[in-house]
Amino acid sequence: MSVTSIARAISSPNLIPPYMPTGDEIAVFELAYQNRLPVLIKGPTGCGKTRFVEHMAARLGRALYTVSCHDDLSASDLVGRHLIDASGTYWTDGPLTQAVRHGGICYLDEVVEARKDTTVVLHALSDDRRILPIDRTGEILKAPPEFMLVVSYNPGYQHLLKGLKPSTRQRFVSLAFGFPEAAREAEIVATESGVEHAIARRLVTLANALRSTADHDLEEAPGTRLIVDAAKLIASGCDPQVACRAAIVECLSDEPEITRALMVVVLAIFGN
Amino acid sequence: MEEQIGIAWHRLVNRLAARRFPEAAVELASVSRDAALLFRALGGDHGVATQAGAKTRHGARRTLLERLAGSARKVDLAWLDNQALRLPPVIDVFPETALNRSLYFWLAALCAVDPRPDLPWLTRNQAAARAVTHDFPGLAASYARLVEAEIARRPQIGKLAQDEARQEQAIRDALRNPGSVRTLPAARRPPHPVLLWLRPELPVTGKKPQPDHSPDQPSRSGSTRQSDKIRRMAEHTEMPERKGGLLLFRPESIFSWAEYAKVEHETKENEDQDLAQAADDLDIIAIARDRKSVAKKLRMSLDLPSAEGDSLALVGDGMQPEWDYRTHALKPAHCRINMVSLADAEPCALPRHLERDQQRLRRQFGALLPLHQRLKAQSEGNDIDIDPYIRHLAHRAGAETRFYFDQRKRGRDLACLLLADLSLSTEAWVGEDRRVIDVIRDSLFLFSEALSVTRDRFALYGFSSQQRSDVRFHTLKAFSESYDGTVRGRINSISPAYYTRMGAAIRRASEILGRQKARERLLLLITDGKPNDADHYEGRYGIEDTRKALIAARQQGLRPFCVTVDQEAHEYLPHIFGKNSFIIIRKPSELPIRLPLLYAQLTHQGH
Repeated sequence: MSVTSIARAISSPNLIPPYMPTGDEIAVFELAYQNRLPVLIKGPTGCGKTRFVEHMAARLGRALYTVSCHDDLSASDLVGRHLIDASGTYWTDGPLTQAVRHGGICYLDEVVEARKDTTVVLHALSDDRRILPIDRTGEILKAPPEFMLVVSYNPGYQHLLKGLKPSTRQRFVSLAFGFPEAAREAEIVATESGVEHAIARRLVTLANALRSTADHDLEEAPGTRLIVDAAKLIASGCDPQVACRAAIVECLSDEPEITRALMVVVLAIFGN
Repeated sequence: MEEQIGIAWHRLVNRLAARRFPEAAVELASVSRDAALLFRALGGDHGVATQAGAKTRHGARRTLLERLAGSARKVDLAWLDNQALRLPPVIDVFPETALNRSLYFWLAALCAVDPRPDLPWLTRNQAAARAVTHDFPGLAASYARLVEAEIARRPQIGKLAQDEARQEQAIRDALRNPGSVRTLPAARRPPHPVLLWLRPELPVTGKKPQPDHSPDQPSRSGSTRQSDKIRRMAEHTEMPERKGGLLLFRPESIFSWAEYAKVEHETKENEDQDLAQAADDLDIIAIARDRKSVAKKLRMSLDLPSAEGDSLALVGDGMQPEWDYRTHALKPAHCRINMVSLADAEPCALPRHLERDQQRLRRQFGALLPLHQRLKAQSEGNDIDIDPYIRHLAHRAGAETRFYFDQRKRGRDLACLLLADLSLSTEAWVGEDRRVIDVIRDSLFLFSEALSVTRDRFALYGFSSQQRSDVRFHTLKAFSESYDGTVRGRINSISPAYYTRMGAAIRRASEILGRQKARERLLLLITDGKPNDADHYEGRYGIEDTRKALIAARQQGLRPFCVTVDQEAHEYLPHIFGKNSFIIIRKPSELPIRLPLLYAQLTHQGH
């Protein structure tokens, strides 16, 4: 995988992605930025973590380097590596190095997925040294004040051995994200999808009903993103029951017994 | 001849009298999972099970035919108590399957929402119906259909006496416009039961039982399949004693044989059916505490007013607390753990029938959890990785220059404690020639074989209990011991006994595992059923205590995981362990081979 395909920079700060705050997360993030503190965002899937970071990057006028971590992501994927072309070998910066060099925000999504050797790189950047040693070139980069490290993870994780080490966790200012309260979430759903408010409210009722079964019947609670997807289908003329099955129910479970029961809940709200 | 005519008459009248539609019947079993999820989705308590409830005597007027048939005295209603969501075992009152089915969901929703359980029956149900129809438009639509079907089913107003007609009209108004009727007009008889509403609260009767310190060994018979799951209202009465003369029962017990049946069915198996039938016919089954424990072939769930438990203080070394969900308090030093050392078990070799599995597992484990990892495309290493080199030659530009394989020692720092349920229920048969306990024994053998390949640290313990004073904790293999003939001998010697006081055993196991210094500590529980013991440790009490013990284990940094062969475990394990921390093995006989693979899956580090 090439480095550029996993890094995405938002270069036009004029276009701020909409984000509706649910608490004081914007203020905390801004203060963390001013104080050069790294930020950890934890919360369930689809609750707006990535959107929040995009919003903040645009708001602060910084380029954003997003890396979606996976279990084969190693330190050199973040830092960079030597490549060869006709004229010989040359060095390319990874997304983390680029963010440090250019004073941007580096966002590591689902950081627990990455290989263990990445934490070493992050540790030196996340304490007061704020340096990035590049072993291969012998270079030691000092992060400028504009550089910021943001990581996110989902604490409701399924693997027994994956989780964030306490020593890593304690280096970050942490923001816990949950789902917004019903009225606000309905507003988000309506704005994002263009569906009418009454439908948005029903969808949020459905989401909250499904969320309250999450520990028991579902691996994970449905996120706002799922609800927005269903709302988009409905807004373009899809039957609500069909939309809920396709965009919500089938995304939550593969077990026929569970999906059948989930449809009972859908019918409790969208039945006719 | 006369008898045959009698039977034919009885059948005819019953069929005419029963305003039921067997062809449209919906059984609870077919919808219980859906109803339970809906109940939780609408805010119902996660800790309660979904079960069939007992019939309720309603006292309303019956039709002539019903009186002739002697039927319809009782009706199936729904209610929620602190153990379970009680729904009718079958709904066949409406002519359409869809209506019968939606009645289940309506009742589950009503139980989940029920905003004013403190109000009297009439207003409470209207308040609940209003809340449900307001918040859930889909249910409101199905409610409208149910109301019409219910009214069509109810006695005709024109045929009722004046007072009863007024009452019936009020009920209909309340059904059509929930919240509109404040009081029920008085009448000589209670109104015809309302199937769309929750059961009226019943007065609590019966004495609380005395704690039983009987030292007799309880016997319990195996298969839960046989258990009759319909709950029966039960009250405690004293065990009748022979007091003077020929009077065998206390006079107040002799209403009829039907009012007093000693639930003891050890002798004849073919009585089960009859007794189940008889039990259905009784309003209240009187249970007497008997000093002689009996095996109940028919394991009925009884709605017993739970004993407060004895408050006797226990002393000993291995005391463990216990959580009482009713008082929200941890009772300190409530259970005594007795360590069983199994020192006299004969050392032995691995049983012959496991040798093939052992060899296969050893091979699989070598691949699944290798001690060394081979890393591809490294910049340095002890072997050449030809693929990237060819790519490099082909593309020239842009390719990487890492052409080596490297070996790296797997950094795995893991301790696992396996805790096996050795209660008497494991004596149940799972196939032609094997019992649950045999399956657990084989699983322990193969698990040990597999883990000795990975060199992960592990310990094996078993537990059973006989009330809180005697929770037996069998040391099969401590962390400090190595897996050898002695350990195999101990595994070989395990046998089922007594009950499953899971909370105390988990707390003890957490203590032992907590002392291990490892980065990851896994607490693996193997069981075949719910927590239960010979006292009040059953149902929700046991479930909540076990849950509390597991929360404490997680806080301690341990990772609990449960493997069960109980096919109904999805009713309670998600609440105890959480959705992602248990697995139900559908074929118990596969447990021995599945367990080690499951362990590999759980602890596989991916890279």
